[in-house]
Amino acid sequence: MTYQTLILTIMSKTNNYVFWGLYVVAWIIFVGLSIEAGALIVNFFFSVYKPEFVQNLYQKLDLTEIYKESRLAFFGIYSFILTISLLKACLFYIVIRLMHTMDLSKPFNTFVAKQISQISYYTLSIGLLSYIARQLVKNLMHYGFNTDNLNQFWVDSQAFILMGAVIYIIATIFKKGVDIQNENDLTV
Amino acid sequence: MAIVVNLDVVMAKRKMSLNELSDKVGLTLSNISILKTGKAKAIRFSTLETICNVLECQPGDILEYVNDEQ
Repeated sequence: MTYQTLILTIMSKTNNYVFWGLYVVAWIIFVGLSIEAGALIVNFFFSVYKPEFVQNLYQKLDLTEIYKESRLAFFGIYSFILTISLLKACLFYIVIRLMHTMDLSKPFNTFVAKQISQISYYTLSIGLLSYIARQLVKNLMHYGFNTDNLNQFWVDSQAFILMGAVIYIIATIFKKGVDIQNENDLTV
Repeated sequence: MAIVVNLDVVMAKRKMSLNELSDKVGLTLSNISILKTGKAKAIRFSTLETICNVLECQPGDILEYVNDEQ
């Protein structure tokens, strides 16, 4: 085996290990996000019907003060929180599905291109919704609402927007790659 | 597509089967089938040369231009 072949073999095996490591990490994050989304849904129902039990729940997200002062603000904020957390869980579900079905020896196919496009749309949606929610909550502070415990849900909005834009560019390039691959497959 | 592949006509004249042609040309059966059924988007000159050599014909015997309006 030549030196170059050896290096390529080691790199290929390392890439495989990195890929499978990322797959495991993606699964762990997906489970965590699903638990968080579920907990927020439970929190929501308890906040509306049994606010006294909220302190014993996951994250202890207590918006009962906002609920008493303005129901519109409460439902508005909670819908943003729930939508963003559900979108994050869906995003990682698509990532897991992509990594599970992708064949690294032949990655340029329509399914993978579509999944990458969907990942970019979900990421951009999360970023934009987080940004809009952050601005709305900032406005609510002027009306005397206490919103310090909500910042954790949209602190990473700009990062998601940046990531969404980058993934969109990658998805566009990947689609072109798929077209070239299809043309190559039909060249004898 | 405007380019029509008449490979089956030439194969019939030379009494050659698809399997035999694919063995002699060095292409897989699926690639020959793609060419024969007109699904191919492009053909390499090297492949065309080999096919013409095996079937003892000219490129014009295999490839024909038909105007789409006709």
